[in-house]
Amino acid sequence: MQTKITRIQRNQPEFLEIHCHTVNDEVREIIAFVKSRQGQLTGTADDRLYEIAVSDIFYIESVDNKGFIYTKEKVYETRQKLYELEEILKEKHFLRVSKSTLLNLMKVNAIKPALNSRFIAVLYSGEQVVISRKYVSELRKALKGDH
Amino acid sequence: MTFREFILSRVQLFFFLVTLILAASAILGGILMPEKELHYYHLFSPFIIAGLCTLPSCVTYFRREPTLKQYIFRLVTQFLLTEGVVMLLISPPDNIGDNRMLFYFLLGGAVLIIYVLATLMMWYQKYLQSRQFTQQLKKLQASEN
Repeated sequence: MQTKITRIQRNQPEFLEIHCHTVNDEVREIIAFVKSRQGQLTGTADDRLYEIAVSDIFYIESVDNKGFIYTKEKVYETRQKLYELEEILKEKHFLRVSKSTLLNLMKVNAIKPALNSRFIAVLYSGEQVVISRKYVSELRKALKGDH
Repeated sequence: MTFREFILSRVQLFFFLVTLILAASAILGGILMPEKELHYYHLFSPFIIAGLCTLPSCVTYFRREPTLKQYIFRLVTQFLLTEGVVMLLISPPDNIGDNRMLFYFLLGGAVLIIYVLATLMMWYQKYLQSRQFTQQLKKLQASEN
């Protein structure tokens, strides 16, 4: 796919236009990346495509190489990889808390101690997410504002 | 927990054990051998015993995330090793007579109490840390909203 960038005047709205033969996975990935940069993620649920506001996401989990976005009411599947989402969302207070989970710190109600050097994050939805021992120092940094 | 944090927590455990061993020595000594006179070199005993009793806690260090079963198994191993170390280190006094079993029973009980107190102390420390995390989290959320 070729790329073309055209500079526009400041008073004109920025937009991205894709010219393609078919809307395939590659195109969908590009769209998802651009939207995620704007504070939105794309996910599927019940065979429908949804735009999910980042502020509505509680956590993102990877299970068997599939990504799942958890909001208060729904779970969406995403094609984006966890490490990609981690990179995109780190400015928005999302933190890797285990090998397979990315947690939105703004949705955490409390942190509780757990056995085997872990902690438990209790979310405003009532769900609990495990914070692995390995990521506790990252959490400490993030809460101190060093992240 | 990083290796550095683990070592720091072991140092804390060491000094906590020193304190508890001193208390246990005073209580048990007062009951079993109230007339016994101690020398200055006996003051090193709590440090030596605490040092040797801290060593078994190294079995609780994991490079990878342990499962709950593995974690409990290691805690039990640590306790048994600690009991073994203490039993080997401390022998009953000569004049104890037929009370050898009672001596070892009391010693084993004292180790158990110290172990439970040390575990509770570690748990309380973790509880305080989680409370601190929650407070910092609330501050972060308030500043963002």
